[in-house]
Amino acid sequence: MSTKNEVGKRSARERMQEERAKEEAAARKKRQLTVIVVTLVVIAAAVVIGIVVQNGRSSSYSAATDAPGGTVGTTRLLIPVGGTAAPSTVTIYEDPRCPACDQFETGMKTTINQLLAQGKIQIQYHIASFIDRHDSGKGSKNAANALACAQNVGRFHDYHDVLYANQPQETDDAWADKSILISLAKQVPGLDSPSFEACVNNNTYGSWVTAVQSDFDKSGYNSTPTVLLNGTPAYPTYNSQDISPANFTTWVDNANKGKPLATMPSASAEALASPTAHNNPPASGAASAGHS
Amino acid sequence: MSVKEHKAGLLPIDRAGRGLPGSGRGSAVTAWIGTAVRIALAIVWAWAGLAKISDPQAAAQAVRVYRILPEALVKPFGYGLPFLELALALLLLVGLGTRIAAVLSGVLLLVYIASIASVWARGISIDCGCFGGGGAVAASRTQYWQEILRDCGFLLLTGWLIWRPKTRLSLDGWLAA
Repeated sequence: MSTKNEVGKRSARERMQEERAKEEAAARKKRQLTVIVVTLVVIAAAVVIGIVVQNGRSSSYSAATDAPGGTVGTTRLLIPVGGTAAPSTVTIYEDPRCPACDQFETGMKTTINQLLAQGKIQIQYHIASFIDRHDSGKGSKNAANALACAQNVGRFHDYHDVLYANQPQETDDAWADKSILISLAKQVPGLDSPSFEACVNNNTYGSWVTAVQSDFDKSGYNSTPTVLLNGTPAYPTYNSQDISPANFTTWVDNANKGKPLATMPSASAEALASPTAHNNPPASGAASAGHS
Repeated sequence: MSVKEHKAGLLPIDRAGRGLPGSGRGSAVTAWIGTAVRIALAIVWAWAGLAKISDPQAAAQAVRVYRILPEALVKPFGYGLPFLELALALLLLVGLGTRIAAVLSGVLLLVYIASIASVWARGISIDCGCFGGGGAVAASRTQYWQEILRDCGFLLLTGWLIWRPKTRLSLDGWLAA
């Protein structure tokens, strides 16, 4: 009897323990589920909020109101230079801080200006500004904005040449200081003015600069300078021939065979053919010799 | 029985009054190691996430240059991934849902490793953009080996936390107490 009673007591105790264990297990499960849900909610909320915030932060660009004057293309992201009737189009993607662009400019500027003056080519510039991401800084964006300010008053090309002639080392973000960009503008006759300085200091064309870079990001071209002659890559080679002043001229002449050249106002053609107003290397004076 | 329960639950949570599994000095050390691993991984994610939020355009481009996602998904991923990383950092830092956060961290790292390997195999030259930056680089400046090895190192950290998700100074532990 007594043993039976003992057994009964024990089983009752065991049942109670089992009950409690079950309750505890259920409570634990509920807690775990809560933690899982909270964790996933935290993650989902962060991602959604992040996407919305970043979307709002990426500047909105409107071609009608935000582009500098004289820009072309469907969303006005390109800066044209030269007679629009010129038979060949040279497309140039350049970042103001890019040293390879400076090398390209130093080697080819004279030739390109000559071809422009002869009405053989027109240029469409895409002013990229991605070096600020790679080397950190603001110089590319500041300079791109300043170039847009110059474009707005019709002084883009001269200012562009001055900037490359005075480009700092890639790792030196000198143009983070906008006053340097303004003092360089004094080398371009008729550029510096209170409104130009305000344009540079206020980053007036900031959203345009961002839109141009965004366009470059999506272009599939991934380095600067990217140079296209009538849509075909021409830097560093064109149909596997190395770029050089003589070769480039030949390529253009071949592409232009049988097509009428554009005529430019003689004054601006003269200015392009003998650019002496601003910091050009002395050798560039020879440009006028080739002008027919 | 208790061992079974731990395996069954996705989130092992201490029962009130009970010590850590396999109680004793060894498991206490394990729990403290777990805390260190958790915080190390939190720092990695926080660093990676913060470096990518200042310039949304650059973050989108870092994703675009992998040439894996269609253009329509480039911005959502470029904008969203840094915040996913920050959310993981936050969860790991406070120790909430440690095992889930570790599993998701591991999955994310595997996706990153696979993406870098895919870019490498296709002969594209980019910076992985793992800690900000990103975009195309010269072929001589790619660092795929280093990037993949680094991510594999982080993967070991997630492995530890998936294996031993109970850590000291965690919300998980506090909730279970």
